[in-house]
Amino acid sequence: MRKKINILATELILCFLMLFMLSGCTGGREINDLEIVIGMGIDKDKDTGKILLTAQVVKEGELGKLSGSGGGGADAKAFWNVSGTGNSVFEAVRQITHKTGNRLFVSHNHAVIFGNDLATEGLQKYIDFFLRAHEMRPTAMILIAENRASDVMDAKPETEKLPAMNIAKLVKAYGFTSHFYKVNMKEFASCLMSETKSPLAPLVGVSQDKDSEDIYVSGMAVFKKDKIVGKLNEHETRGLLWVLGEVKSGVLIVSSPNKEGNAVLEILEAKSKVKPEIKEGKIVINVRINAETSLSEQTTSENLATIEAFEKMQDAQAEIIRHEIMMTFDKSKELNADIFGFGEMIRKKYGKEWKDFKDNWDEIYSTIKLNIDIDVKIQKTDLLKKPAAQKEEGK
Amino acid sequence: MFRYISKIIRYWSLKNKNKSQDTAPGKVNNEPLSSDLKRNLEVIKGILRDSSDVTFHEFNFGHERKFKGALVFINSLTDKNEIHKNILQPLMYDVLLLKKDVSMDFSKIDTIGKNLISIAGTNKLTLLNDLLDHLLAGSTILLVDGSKEALAIECHKMESRSIEEPGTEAVVRGPREGFNENVNVSIALIRRKIKDPDLCVEKFKIGERTRTGVYIVYIKGVANPELIEEIRKRLSRIKVDAILESGYIEQFIEDAPYSIFPTVSNSEKPDKVVSKILEGRAAILVDGTPFVLVVPMLFIESFQSGEDYYSRPFLASIMRIVRFLSYIISTLGPAIYVALTVFHQELIPTQLLISIAAGRERVPFPAILEALLMIFTFDILREAGVRLPKAVGQTIGIVGALVLGQASVEAGLISPIMVIVVSSTAIASFAVPAQTDSGTILRYLFLALAGLAGGFGIIMGLLATLLHLASLRSFGTPYLWPIVPLNFTGLKDTFIRMPLWAMPKRSSVIVWNEKGSHRQSPGLAPSPYRKDSDGSK
Repeated sequence: MRKKINILATELILCFLMLFMLSGCTGGREINDLEIVIGMGIDKDKDTGKILLTAQVVKEGELGKLSGSGGGGADAKAFWNVSGTGNSVFEAVRQITHKTGNRLFVSHNHAVIFGNDLATEGLQKYIDFFLRAHEMRPTAMILIAENRASDVMDAKPETEKLPAMNIAKLVKAYGFTSHFYKVNMKEFASCLMSETKSPLAPLVGVSQDKDSEDIYVSGMAVFKKDKIVGKLNEHETRGLLWVLGEVKSGVLIVSSPNKEGNAVLEILEAKSKVKPEIKEGKIVINVRINAETSLSEQTTSENLATIEAFEKMQDAQAEIIRHEIMMTFDKSKELNADIFGFGEMIRKKYGKEWKDFKDNWDEIYSTIKLNIDIDVKIQKTDLLKKPAAQKEEGK
Repeated sequence: MFRYISKIIRYWSLKNKNKSQDTAPGKVNNEPLSSDLKRNLEVIKGILRDSSDVTFHEFNFGHERKFKGALVFINSLTDKNEIHKNILQPLMYDVLLLKKDVSMDFSKIDTIGKNLISIAGTNKLTLLNDLLDHLLAGSTILLVDGSKEALAIECHKMESRSIEEPGTEAVVRGPREGFNENVNVSIALIRRKIKDPDLCVEKFKIGERTRTGVYIVYIKGVANPELIEEIRKRLSRIKVDAILESGYIEQFIEDAPYSIFPTVSNSEKPDKVVSKILEGRAAILVDGTPFVLVVPMLFIESFQSGEDYYSRPFLASIMRIVRFLSYIISTLGPAIYVALTVFHQELIPTQLLISIAAGRERVPFPAILEALLMIFTFDILREAGVRLPKAVGQTIGIVGALVLGQASVEAGLISPIMVIVVSSTAIASFAVPAQTDSGTILRYLFLALAGLAGGFGIIMGLLATLLHLASLRSFGTPYLWPIVPLNFTGLKDTFIRMPLWAMPKRSSVIVWNEKGSHRQSPGLAPSPYRKDSDGSK
């Protein structure tokens, strides 16, 4: 009996131990062994033509010291830009371990920046790894460098200690001007997979001043398939966002009714409704935009808080918005890139007719007519009713 | 696998059972008293010959001193003044005041007890065994020549503590009195609160040598008779030589002796015990300890405090949720930290991950070892803090703060975030005192699981714990009631505490009939006086 129990006990213990063997595949790693990557830049190596991958690794110790009281040296960087080359992105990533000693931990990668040269060549073959690797986040932002991505990675922003975090912060702040737009890996990939819609990605660059290198994000790169074909400037980007209904805020400047100065208006809210229509075989897109603004600044002493002035300014605003949209639309026709996604809309609404359009969408796109209907209201004048000026100067 | 476990357990319990039957101690003094005083005294002296504190006092009494009697008592347990005034004096002198011609046969113990002894509380004894029982419990034994019976007279002198505020279960609002080592005082405290003729106090004597008084206190009609019968059955099968504390009883009557969760609750506070008795539970009082057992126990009782019902329901509800969260933190805190930092770094926000990484940079241990070290140090501190004499007790706090906190961080042995995690776990563990043992064991268990398998391990552990909890019964009551099985009336007093007037019925799982479940009339919600709502005015 005793012997039997001993055997049973051994079996029990073995069962228990096996339980933990099973879980071995989940694999834990101590934080000390991680190289936390917060941003990646991918360029083409000028000499070899291979991929040059720059990973921005956080130096936690330095970061702690810098944020701590005083002591940190001004030169101490809180990040380490470590680069590797390879024939593919993955090879380059693994090449980096020769320098780090640890595997890169990319789950906290906030921004992926592609160099301009890669974008002109076509991004499809470089983006695959970022979508496939299980540690990568599909919500990581994608950006296109005006020149080389590694330059952006090396910039020294003033407030943020980590350039990649700075980029993420800048991109998230697009709503203040609506001059560019946040695009993440997943959205970019879904545009790549679409038959007609052109992918877009914000442009990032470094402004060279005497003593500082600041990162700025402005405008969007327009892709046709996976190759860059052109750029939208700030106003053209906002023209796109008006149609997409993604304008969060921004500044509109109209000349004041008596033409002496300008009225500066802040966009409070903007909504859009886009309805595609097929009239006699031709595609007409009806865009209706409802926006609300407030008077934020005026550069004239005239009292603008009157109904007549409001009406005039509202008309002027609508004209600016219409102009911005048309500018973008013309540009997209010029680049022959369906950045608005009109093709997708037609496919959804007119499934039968779409079969005819599908094959020669590029030609049809240039024949599309845009029907814009804009309704902008000025809601308030903020804290002032009349400008801070003497009355007799008023008129 | 479970069959193996149950087999092993059955084997051991069978083995123990056989052993206990073999060596059960039995007493052989079960013989009747003789009518010869001398012989009786010799027998008792023979049994107690080595006890120097037993007094044998022989005397003659009655008119002409023609009756012979003897008092046997234990000095240390009896009140001598009482014996002189109320036993010896009436027997030897007051009897002379009776007229001579009144013929009373004082060789009959009955006559003496009814006519001469001026103490309430006498027992007639015929067996030697009973005589010894009463003698050792502090009664004074009167033996008379010619009588086959003896009289046990209760004149105990029991030293006991005064009623004090208990060290555990402190309250801000509510009664401060606590039970006492003297079981009579404890029963008095209960009686003082429930003036109901249905309140029953059943006495058991358990322990071959200690003969400890164990009392079941319940309200007849409210408590389920099956429950009381079950308690009687479980108490009467206890055959041990000593019961020194209610914990002894608890371990012999609990439903799940192998579980880390207690299925018998205990309390030092009469108001708490009384409220549970009123709900249909039964209290088990043990002489010699202020800790009173209450059965059946539900898991949620651990999270309830007497104060919940004395203060208004709003703060009480928040505090109850705080206690639930505290229990979760105290069991899972370090485990979740280890799982997150070792297995699931992608779940931590970037900034936090960076600061955790910065804190851990110089730490030479893996996170699991770091956590084990810290929790173990905390347990050492806690245990040492309890044992230390009060005069040096403060030292432990200072040393602990330095060892656990500053010094170990500065030396680079421990990361600062681990100090935060472990200290908040430590604080949280004191919020639910009734589950301290289960909480402590689960903390180590979950930590081990988290270190081996991360979040997967924690989920597996939680699942096993939950299954186990759901399988527990305390005297036939599902341990997780009212959550499993779900009971909406019961939920009124679980995570939140509804106002008293909104809870007219008692827990249906404990009370057994309509009378028992009635707490108050419905519709007692107070409202300001309104003329039109009251028809008469």
